[in-house]
Amino acid sequence: MKTNETRDAVWKAVVLRGWQALRQPLVATVFGLLVGAAVILACGHNPIEVYKEMFEKSFFKPYYLFSTLTRATPIIICAMATGMSWRAGYINLGVEGQMVTGTLVATVVALFLPGPPVLVAIIAWLAGMAAGALYALLPSVLVWKFNVSMVITTLMLNYVANYITSYFVTYPLKDTSGDGLALQTPEIAAGMRLPRLSSTSTFNAGFIVAILVVLFMVFITRKTVFGYESKMGGFNPSFARYGGTKQVKVMLITMALAGAIASMAGSAEVFGLKYRYADGMLSSTSYAWTGLQAALIAGLDPVGMFFVSIFLSGLQIGGSAIQRSLGIPLEIATIIQCCITLFVSVKVVIRFTKKPKAVKEGGKQA
Amino acid sequence: MKHITKVYGSLYANDDVHLTLDKGEILAVVGENGAGKSTLMKILYGLEQPTSGEIYLNGELQHFRSPHDAIAKKIGMVQQHFMLLEPCTVAENIVYGREPRKNGLFFDRNAAIRITEELCDKYGLHIDPRRLVKNCPVGLQQRVEILKVLYQDADIIIFDEPSAVLTPQEVNELLATMRKLAQMGKSIIIITHKLHEVMAVADRVMVMRLGKYIQEMPKSETSIEEMSFLMVGRHIVEREVPPQETTGTVLDVRDLVLAGPDEKNILDHFSIHVDAGEIVGIAGVSGNGQSELIQCLTGLLPPTSGEIVLKGENMAGRSVGDIRNAGCACIPEDRYLWGCAAEATLTETSIMAHQYKPELSRHGLLNSKGAKAFTQKLLDDYDVRNSGQSQKAGELSGGNIQKLIVAREMEQNSPLLIAAEPTRGVDIGAIEFIHNKLLQKREKGDAVLLISSELTEIMSLSDRIYVIYEGRAAGEFRKADATEEALGILMMGGTLHENE
Amino acid sequence: MNSAYIASVINSTLRSTTPILLAALGCAMCSRVGVFNVALEAQMLIACFTSIAVNYFTSSVLLSVLAGVLSGAVVGAVVAILQVKYKAADMVVGTALNLLVGAITTFLLYLIFDLRGKLVDNRLVSLSKINLPIIKDIPFLGRVLENLTIIDYLSYIIAIVLFIYLFKTVAGFRTLSVGINKSAAESLGTKATRIQMAMVILSGALCGLGGVVLSMGQVTMFTENMTSGRGFIAMAASSLGMAHPLLVIASSLFFGLCQGIGLAIQNVVKAQLTNTLPYIATIVALVIFSKRSSSAKLKK
Repeated sequence: MKTNETRDAVWKAVVLRGWQALRQPLVATVFGLLVGAAVILACGHNPIEVYKEMFEKSFFKPYYLFSTLTRATPIIICAMATGMSWRAGYINLGVEGQMVTGTLVATVVALFLPGPPVLVAIIAWLAGMAAGALYALLPSVLVWKFNVSMVITTLMLNYVANYITSYFVTYPLKDTSGDGLALQTPEIAAGMRLPRLSSTSTFNAGFIVAILVVLFMVFITRKTVFGYESKMGGFNPSFARYGGTKQVKVMLITMALAGAIASMAGSAEVFGLKYRYADGMLSSTSYAWTGLQAALIAGLDPVGMFFVSIFLSGLQIGGSAIQRSLGIPLEIATIIQCCITLFVSVKVVIRFTKKPKAVKEGGKQA
Repeated sequence: MKHITKVYGSLYANDDVHLTLDKGEILAVVGENGAGKSTLMKILYGLEQPTSGEIYLNGELQHFRSPHDAIAKKIGMVQQHFMLLEPCTVAENIVYGREPRKNGLFFDRNAAIRITEELCDKYGLHIDPRRLVKNCPVGLQQRVEILKVLYQDADIIIFDEPSAVLTPQEVNELLATMRKLAQMGKSIIIITHKLHEVMAVADRVMVMRLGKYIQEMPKSETSIEEMSFLMVGRHIVEREVPPQETTGTVLDVRDLVLAGPDEKNILDHFSIHVDAGEIVGIAGVSGNGQSELIQCLTGLLPPTSGEIVLKGENMAGRSVGDIRNAGCACIPEDRYLWGCAAEATLTETSIMAHQYKPELSRHGLLNSKGAKAFTQKLLDDYDVRNSGQSQKAGELSGGNIQKLIVAREMEQNSPLLIAAEPTRGVDIGAIEFIHNKLLQKREKGDAVLLISSELTEIMSLSDRIYVIYEGRAAGEFRKADATEEALGILMMGGTLHENE
Repeated sequence: MNSAYIASVINSTLRSTTPILLAALGCAMCSRVGVFNVALEAQMLIACFTSIAVNYFTSSVLLSVLAGVLSGAVVGAVVAILQVKYKAADMVVGTALNLLVGAITTFLLYLIFDLRGKLVDNRLVSLSKINLPIIKDIPFLGRVLENLTIIDYLSYIIAIVLFIYLFKTVAGFRTLSVGINKSAAESLGTKATRIQMAMVILSGALCGLGGVVLSMGQVTMFTENMTSGRGFIAMAASSLGMAHPLLVIASSLFFGLCQGIGLAIQNVVKAQLTNTLPYIATIVALVIFSKRSSSAKLKK
């Protein structure tokens, strides 16, 4: 019967393909959790009970679920920024620096630009995105003109951005009200803050921003010629050039977008959660690095990155919960997520090599 | 070698093959691309393990788990793709594996030079031990490979498609070398599909086809026609190409110069023209500027000076996109480097260079349905065996991905098509198909520039032939006037008047 | 600025250089065999922690150094297995390991010592400082070479040994061949993968030694994430030095100098800004020397 055939075909297309795509990260996750269990055992605790509490206090109770989603917001956006650049073949390790730069600029504009709050807030976000984009374009131009290593340059710029923003927050921009001990800027005006989405927790509209960013990235990668050209450039730059793609243009646009998106991660944190820029608030929480790992685990797929980011965020929230109650250091979450990444990596082979390996020509096909 | 079988998955690369070799004889193993000759030799050399079967040397059973074992038993192989360390000197390459030592740990490079000179004297092959391999022309590089094998004291020497990269004259030198080595007591196996070489040098011939042993006989009892028939399983008729009038020049390359790293021009005032309705072939040994010429013509590399006039407009130094839009499509010489991306789907592979066409995108937004329809047309029209459009390009066989690339470039319907090594490494069915398509394009009235290192391909398809040597157009022939001998002389850098 | 001041800046430079030099040599050896080892930070940081931890419990300098080197080699072994043997993607393995070791060391600091941030203790024994007998009395030179540890001197010796190994011995020639053309080396019987793994483990040991001198040399303590990107600066140094042991000495000294200068001007310019100096210098150096490094030549 035709309908049964089509149903089988749909099953095959969706479920089978989904299983194939998810199989690797799922298997890796199981192994990662096993390693975590071993570490928990070494601390003298029962892994099953610990995991039960961890997952309860991250996903299964509403208050904690909101915490997870709140923390996931910047992670999701950082993952998108990372994924956007890595997909195109540019190993951008500088998302943290781009995020920090953009966020500080956005905060400064919000604090010092006079005008109606909503308008100022919008300008602030845009200014932040421009700053993030420029900070990402800096290494890109160096790579273009001087063929330096994107890896090393973007990474170095992370440290530079962190130190410079720390300087600004410690001296010129410091909030002198209160005891003046905290290294942070004053708060931004109430009218500029993102609305809370829940009355009982800090869950806010930043999460909506994150979802919009994901949708934007899905749109770019699947529906636009730019997304196609950048994907092909990531697979094989020579192929893209041969087909007429302007590699430099694609690189600059990709990195600028990545930088702009990265800044939104920090802006969501400032405008939605903390309402000020505090020294190290974005780096000590490792949002960018968690986002990077989410990107790697999810194989750079936008929707995958969204869910994996939430999962990793939950691990971290659960991790701090068990630190409070059981004394196991919260880094257990990082250990688990790094192990998951390592287990995923064993299957990820050709993706990131610059020159495509020639496929073996073995004998004749039937 | 008895009952050698090698299976890759469900593919029988070798199917119960026998081979015998006597001391001091030259055995030619012939067959088409994919017949299994290389696999058989890799098994003999220890690079692969047979799924079943045995190897006997002088009556003793052998187990070669790696080239190390084969080398220890005095088997040497001169491979098709050279295994050389380019930044190192000739001497260093030759002694690798049994390096002369000073005080046990240290590499005595002076002794290596002396050893090389001794080898050169002993076997009558000459080369400068101090020269860096990357500065040696291809023929000399092959000589380094031969000397490597001789340094390891090989008694059995395997040559895998040795003439693929040589000019006809260099091939003659190689064949003479082989005969001399055989006279000195070495036993030689040569793998080739060039039958006139077989007739020139072999004592016995063994034919393989589709992984199977077909027949063997002394050279004196066979002919090129018989070998050809056995190799392919049917008679191949010489292609008849009806002559046709050309209508106007499509591509005019004037005085093209591309400067090289050390004051030598890679392209040296190169001038050719291609007219509508003809196939122009460029014959030449690879490494004489062909790759760079293609890159200049397609916009991947800006020339230093000169003009590339395409349909009346000078496109030298313009971008790839502009040149494509002006009417130039290209089948690249290295399909995996330029022509596709292994992880891309078939759809993504097919739309490359078409992505701005109205049926595939509008205002920067992709039209997925249009893309799928476009791809399906290419796959169907060119009989590309595939398992669905979302299959990864790297999973297709060499012949099939090449057909897809040819399809994609033909679909540009461009006035000029550059076809670089269009049938390299492709099975014979696909070769015929692609050749037919090139001729169809010519019939349509478009211009085709064919660049190939297979002289037979050039001579069979081209209306006019240029020879490229060291970046210059060394000669121009009409189809009727072109002989292999004349082309070979020019390909080597000689001039024709010498031989009158 | 008097000569004593300059001498102390050079001294500071020498001390900053050592960890970078050792890590850069490790990176260079990996490059020479064609392996892109990104986990240098991890290899160093684990050694920082292990050496201090062993130091705390045994008060033995020798055991601490051995523990540090060994732990670096273990991390190197993980890289070797995952990246070389199983061909996992280099960026993924390296970044994951860097983060993992960061988490593990912080985790263990809390678990074993119940501390956050750093471990400082009176019972920790630092590397003994050497003051060469005659030289210490020479006015300028004495100040320059004041209070260096044995590892500082050792790092230069290691560089020279590696140079001799690579370019003068047979084993070194074969090692180089793996990086030049792996399939050629294999076809001639060289066990290329084994050599690659050995070099990666060696880089682990070298980075480990660098981590030891970082935590037990100038200071004697462990601070969370104390490597602060030195692994990546070492990658830049290796790249600038074109993976040549003797040139890497020069490039590492350059980065050590940047750190030295940064420290020296800290009373004039705010610390946060001077801290950026090595990182900016890395980028500038990579740009200036970019034309040279684009075609790596094999120097004899």
